[in-house]
Amino acid sequence: MKAKQRSNSIRAAIIAAVAIALILWKPTVLIYGLQSAGLYAAIAIPMGLVLGIVHIVNLAHGEFMMLAAYAAYNACKAFGMDPLMAIIPTAAVTSLFGWVIFQLTIRKALKAPELNQLILTFGLAIAFTQIINLIFTSQTYKIPLDYVSASMTIGNLTFGIWSFVFVPVAIAFAYGLQYFLTKTNTGKAALAVGQNTKGAAIVGIDVYRTYGLVFAIATALVGAMGALFLTKSAIFPAVGSPFTMKSFCLIAMAGIGNIPGILGASVLLGVAESFLRAFRGTRDWAEIVFFVLIIVVIMSRSLKGRKS
Amino acid sequence: MIRLTTKNITKRFLGLVAVNNVSFSMEEGEILGIIGPNGAGKTTFINLISGIIMPSEGVIEFKGKDITYMPAHERARLGIARTYQLIHPLENLTMIENIMVGSIFAKGHSLKEARIIALGLCDELSLRDVDRDTSRLTILEIKKMEIARALANEPEVLFLDEVMAGLNTEETKDIIAVVHKLARERNVAIGVIEHVMGVIRELTHRVMVMEAGEIIAEGKYEDISKNPRVIEAYLGGATDAETTKS
Amino acid sequence: MKRNASKMVALVFGIMAIMLPFFAGDYPLQVGRNIMMYMALAISWDMLLRSGQVSFGIAGFFGLGAYASILSVVHAGIPSWLSILFAAVFSGLIAFAIGLLILRLRAMYFSIVTLALGEIFRIILQNMHDFTGGPEGIVMQGVIFGGNANRLYWLTLTGLCISLAGSYWFENSKIHFAITAIRNNEISAQSSGVDIFKWLLLAFVVTSAIQGLLGGIFVQSYGFATPDTVFSADFMLLPIAMALLGGIYSTTGPVLGALLLGIVSEWLKLKIPYGHLVVYGIMIIIVILFMPRGLKQLVRQSPKNAERGKA
Repeated sequence: MKAKQRSNSIRAAIIAAVAIALILWKPTVLIYGLQSAGLYAAIAIPMGLVLGIVHIVNLAHGEFMMLAAYAAYNACKAFGMDPLMAIIPTAAVTSLFGWVIFQLTIRKALKAPELNQLILTFGLAIAFTQIINLIFTSQTYKIPLDYVSASMTIGNLTFGIWSFVFVPVAIAFAYGLQYFLTKTNTGKAALAVGQNTKGAAIVGIDVYRTYGLVFAIATALVGAMGALFLTKSAIFPAVGSPFTMKSFCLIAMAGIGNIPGILGASVLLGVAESFLRAFRGTRDWAEIVFFVLIIVVIMSRSLKGRKS
Repeated sequence: MIRLTTKNITKRFLGLVAVNNVSFSMEEGEILGIIGPNGAGKTTFINLISGIIMPSEGVIEFKGKDITYMPAHERARLGIARTYQLIHPLENLTMIENIMVGSIFAKGHSLKEARIIALGLCDELSLRDVDRDTSRLTILEIKKMEIARALANEPEVLFLDEVMAGLNTEETKDIIAVVHKLARERNVAIGVIEHVMGVIRELTHRVMVMEAGEIIAEGKYEDISKNPRVIEAYLGGATDAETTKS
Repeated sequence: MKRNASKMVALVFGIMAIMLPFFAGDYPLQVGRNIMMYMALAISWDMLLRSGQVSFGIAGFFGLGAYASILSVVHAGIPSWLSILFAAVFSGLIAFAIGLLILRLRAMYFSIVTLALGEIFRIILQNMHDFTGGPEGIVMQGVIFGGNANRLYWLTLTGLCISLAGSYWFENSKIHFAITAIRNNEISAQSSGVDIFKWLLLAFVVTSAIQGLLGGIFVQSYGFATPDTVFSADFMLLPIAMALLGGIYSTTGPVLGALLLGIVSEWLKLKIPYGHLVVYGIMIIIVILFMPRGLKQLVRQSPKNAERGKA
């Protein structure tokens, strides 16, 4: 216990030191890094539920968000609403859509080897992206909103603050799901199914119903994010795919099954990217960060695996 | 000559101690029975020896060489082989190809040689029509194929994990004859995990009893079958109907 | 008997393929080149799939090879044909390095990393503005064989033959046993002495080298490379859809799928400029759900194959 406490306090000290250094030197790195972290985490956490808890690989994760964003956009344009109003309806519609897609396709691939899931959901990702491409072309769409340019000034430093909204959303997702998993029957069933599918079935858990519900919940969260994302970003058919990759990166970093850990991992990813973006020389390399992190995680996992 | 030794081998899975401080050894040409109630850690123990999992503590030695953390495929090349309780044949290879794998990769034979060797093994085990798809095999044939697969490693240490389960008397006699022959003629050290006590009695030179991850008794079948602790481990009854007779 | 018949068919097709330039004009030859390129990529994807690993990195190594080839010609002045070989070696080496790092964790981790590869390579090459010309790409002086349509066709055909040879090698040597065993049951394979890491690394390196080679051939045939053209999703999607449609875990499957889809794709590109890729996405979904073994499974019609619904 002592050794673990020791390494935790060392870790905390390093993080505090880095944070203070950034605040003193380039505070915007920390600010924008945290905002990105919130966004990444909020999108990754639903995938953490599906992949981490019930072990379903869904390469179309980012595309569900993209679809939700397009749905929200069109709803907002058609009914003249603000995206924030659209969050709940979008979440509901996306959830239903996700559940249907699950029943029609993914569910059938669950009994087959994992590579079927990989290829199937990859096909879904492509299909979703290209259908949107067909209907809306690759043009970007954005809703201009006033509150998005809200900013704050501290000393001679001015920065946008709207994007901080993702942080409480991510935290709410993380702890909301923790509550769901540990305190509700469906959530506990999900944990059981993930840990021991056959055992769960034997004790009477309806495995496929559980999968369906979990998938619907995850898609609801992703759908909500789609509407929220619409407030600050332009959308285009391929907008979802980087989020799939980064979500996977965060889940790998946090460890399969560790949902709150995604929050911490997202800070590392967000701040690292933000750091690289701050300098002209390294700006173009920011998008590589997640890849480097995945490789590092995989390498350290496989080293650990060999030892034990 | 001692072939295989374990010293204080322990395996923990998070909270559970599956194998607890097990030390044993096997000699060439010896047939060792490994018995114990379900969940005693027998298969985990074999997994540790064959390299599918790594121990939390302890040492494993093969002919004096430390193989504690050696990868499974290297142990196969050294001459350790085992069968699996739940047999999942390689479904995209034919029966004989399943057997050839060990010959090719554990022993380094060419495809031609491997096929000849595999044919020989099929002959010994009375497996016919060797180019059949594995989906067309009977349970007995699958079991025999699994044994042949392990034998293709030309092992010096072999573990048979409940191979007799589901076989009738004739078939059991067949396998027993094969195992005897292996030990006698090729000096293979053989560990046999079994629940059928008649088999253990007939086949083994020595028996090791495990319960809750530990060895609770060791010795000849006649002795350990009277051991009260062993009897209790099997839920307070005779270990088989014939023991009370003898 | 059956074996001889299919060998005859292959021979006839082979001769027809070689003789095509004497009978066809430039446009059909161009279509033929595209089909052969995709066919070769589809075969290389299937080769790795046989080991149980799904790679989404085809376009990545293809583009990497393309850039390796064109950059070596433009900056180091080496001859075109040599640059194609260099492309293969370079892609192979990069695959070796990446494989060393990630192949100890497989399946999902491997697949997702390869999914990112295309983007990563593209970003890296795009960022090296001075060396690679950045987003606008880089142009060669002249094209291999002076752009002679027949020679370009035969060059691509050579690339296809190399891919076919690789697939044949994978099917008829120890490699077949190793990768099939790994795909079917890793634990059993290990117990029989198969060094999983080593064989997966071999398969990954060989297939990536082939993809790099094809990228080199592609770029030499057109004389220019931009990040968007050589890393295009086309080069990843179509081969996968083709292999799935024709029937995975074989050489003839991807060949068949490429012949069918290749012609369809040319037509589609004209009819639906935006989003024609949706067809391949949907095709992948349908094949995986309803006929995981592809058309070959339907043709065979044996009860054994009908039961084996899984890929």
